[in-house]
Amino acid sequence: MQKEDIDQISQIDTREEETCCSRNEDVLDDATLVQSNHHELHYCDFHIVYSSTFRVPVLYFRAYCSDGRPLPLDEIEKELPACASKELSKKKWTFITQEEHPYLKRPWYKLHPCGTAEWMKLLFLSDTANPKFEVVLELYLLSWFSVVGQVFGLRFYFKISN
Amino acid sequence: MAKEGSGSILQFAPLQSSVDEGFWHRLSSLKLNKFGIDDSPIPISGFYAPCSHPQVSNHLTLLAESLLSDSNDESTMPSVIRGNRNRCSVPGILYNTNTMEGFHALDKQGLLKAEAMKIWEDIHSGKAVEDCAVLSRVLLISFADLKKWNFHYWFAFPALALDPPATLVDLRPASQWFTLEEAESVSTACNEWRNSSVTADVPFFLVSIGSDSHAAVRHLKDLEACQRDGQKLLFAFYDPCHLPNNPGWPLRNFLALISARWNLKTVRFLCYRENRGFADLNLSLVGEALITVQQGWREQQSVPNAVGWELNKGRKVPRCINLAKSMDPTRLAISAADLNLKLMRWRALPSLNLEILFSLKCLLLGAGTLGCQVARMLMAWGVRRITLLDNGRVAMSNPLRQSLYTLDDCHNGGDFKATAAVRSLQRIFPAVEAEGIVMAIPMPGHPVSSQEEKSVLEDCKRLNDLIDSHDVIFLLTDTRESRWLPTLLCANRNKITITAALGFDSFLVMRHGPGPFNSIPNLKAETEDSLAAGMDNLVLTNTDGQHRLGCYFCNDVVAPTDSTSNRMLDQQCTVTRPGLAPIASALAVELLVGILHHPNGIFAEAEIANSSSGGNFELPLGILPHQIRGSLPHFQQMTLLGHSSNSCTACCSTVVSEYRKRGMQFILQAINHPTYLEDVTGLTELMRSANSFQLDWDDDIEVADDECVEL
Repeated sequence: MQKEDIDQISQIDTREEETCCSRNEDVLDDATLVQSNHHELHYCDFHIVYSSTFRVPVLYFRAYCSDGRPLPLDEIEKELPACASKELSKKKWTFITQEEHPYLKRPWYKLHPCGTAEWMKLLFLSDTANPKFEVVLELYLLSWFSVVGQVFGLRFYFKISN
Repeated sequence: MAKEGSGSILQFAPLQSSVDEGFWHRLSSLKLNKFGIDDSPIPISGFYAPCSHPQVSNHLTLLAESLLSDSNDESTMPSVIRGNRNRCSVPGILYNTNTMEGFHALDKQGLLKAEAMKIWEDIHSGKAVEDCAVLSRVLLISFADLKKWNFHYWFAFPALALDPPATLVDLRPASQWFTLEEAESVSTACNEWRNSSVTADVPFFLVSIGSDSHAAVRHLKDLEACQRDGQKLLFAFYDPCHLPNNPGWPLRNFLALISARWNLKTVRFLCYRENRGFADLNLSLVGEALITVQQGWREQQSVPNAVGWELNKGRKVPRCINLAKSMDPTRLAISAADLNLKLMRWRALPSLNLEILFSLKCLLLGAGTLGCQVARMLMAWGVRRITLLDNGRVAMSNPLRQSLYTLDDCHNGGDFKATAAVRSLQRIFPAVEAEGIVMAIPMPGHPVSSQEEKSVLEDCKRLNDLIDSHDVIFLLTDTRESRWLPTLLCANRNKITITAALGFDSFLVMRHGPGPFNSIPNLKAETEDSLAAGMDNLVLTNTDGQHRLGCYFCNDVVAPTDSTSNRMLDQQCTVTRPGLAPIASALAVELLVGILHHPNGIFAEAEIANSSSGGNFELPLGILPHQIRGSLPHFQQMTLLGHSSNSCTACCSTVVSEYRKRGMQFILQAINHPTYLEDVTGLTELMRSANSFQLDWDDDIEVADDECVEL
């Protein structure tokens, strides 16, 4: 394995260039696995945050590459499953805005909550049985998520514990 | 897959770094607000967790919380960074340099050795057994270019290199090594360890299994006790790596600890990995390593070699990330504004043509009450290219009514309005392309002396060039006569022209019709370029007075003259009700957007608002009127239509052809001789014949424009 001196680095710009050799220094050793495939991964974080203005939960999200570079909205939308992007375009209550995350203070995207209270009411009104308050409370987030999750093709796996 | 055989070197999968953009944001903020040029090393905390996905390794992550909190922050972040089941803390250090050269000049091997030394010392002092989190460390060197938002960085995960390296005797999925009962017990014990807030972030531990297949998870410091029990013992660690044939990087220093402190030569290890939050013994690996006695390892003085600089796509070079888009405030403002307009399009107006608005070049003649408001409204619609022309200075009374100015612009006699307005627009939205022109508009009825002639002609030419190079012209000046020359020039060039004029309690907003010389009126005016192209292949079909909508002067029977001299002082600076300017300016911009979305553009026919149209419009933005006249006392507004006049002093074919024939000489004549325009258009003749009938014209004239002046 070629040993190169990492102290000597020629011109660096956003495109990386090779180092030039000078002294022999151990940078890698034989016990280090060298991987040849470098997959580009995209990560998407989802946060559920309560909005005191609208008094409903709000889905915040952001996406980024493995090096941390944020992905813009149009790139995120390209990667949504096909059924999900249809949801996004046709439903009037699923539009996306960019806002400062209330705790992380960084720009995130969110599904705007202005319609949430209304369609949540519809969901619960359609239930003819009169559930107990505790059940409603538990079901609220699940029901809410079953709707907004569709926008991203997310499904919720949960274990019902006693 | 079982991997057996003796003598193959145990190869560890290197840790991979991942830096959340919030980390760079906080570092930038600290650098700007706290550290300044101080480049002393900064303590940081990295975070990692056991692998949670069979195809993706977990990274060692730096977040905003990895740095000590900004003292200016209002956040209540604790200064001690506590871990949780998703975040095992890794102590570390950051060397952030002030220059690129400084970045290159860092003694990387030296820094790596220093961090390795800390691990070595912790191993020998016993601290690594008490608080095993110190077995892993992270070293980061960086250079933050805060002008371009480029972050150059390089990670090292110091690992003490065994010499000779450890060999792998066996490596297989844990489910294949444990019996079924053992596996179940190990899973349960590990899940308990992971669920307890006390141990969830302890990444190195012991798993001891009794002859009854019962497994227990113990702290490292209980090793001697476990060994005495004579049970099966595994050295376990949270493994971020997902690979089936390689353990992750944290095992390196773990083996170093085991060898140096406990002098064990055979080590059975468990690479603990999870799936969906629970122990996954198919993904987890159990292996056996052989460690040769290391020369002098029992003595603290001889520090082993260290490795661990992260490769960048297989190359020994630093990484660089550009975060201008998410950190540069201007870029953030731009993307927020764009998103806002796009929302309008998605939610309410799918046919909204944002591209035409973004590319439009608007010229605003006048930067007073009307000019300031029109500029703001244009920006709200996404127009970015705005030129303001005004020769005045900001006076002390201006900031109250002229919404781009503040008191700061009034000092020392006042800045030029055009300049102050541009500055203000840039403060509101840095990406605006605004230009200010300080210039007076030559006016008929204000004769010029022969010395001034040359500069007046230059101003005319300059105005002509400005009109040529813009797509839309707004006439927002405070006199009638100052609107004459721009109207003529716009009619000549067939430019979209919008006039706003104020009375004391009434206003007029109108769009001028096309000029007298134009191509077939049913052009589809997609862009202003096609209109201009239309101008080039002129057909001299004179469509005067037939279907062409009129301009501001078409209803006049007197030529514009000097309306400002010989007036009482209180009439010269005429006051209008403050609400008028914002209303008129807003309507002027909405009218423009309507024109831009009409398939015929400047040639669009005029529509009148009437109650029977209800909510159904042919075009999504509604009707496109010619003139809007509003009256505040009545809180009423009317839409009117006026066709062009054959005798219009500004836009009739006679006048425009005279201008085309004689250019600036014609202009000069009109400026210097008050009756010239009336003669040319035949208005003089018209009035002579009218006077002979002694009709009272005043009632029929719609325009009270000679009272329309603005403050």
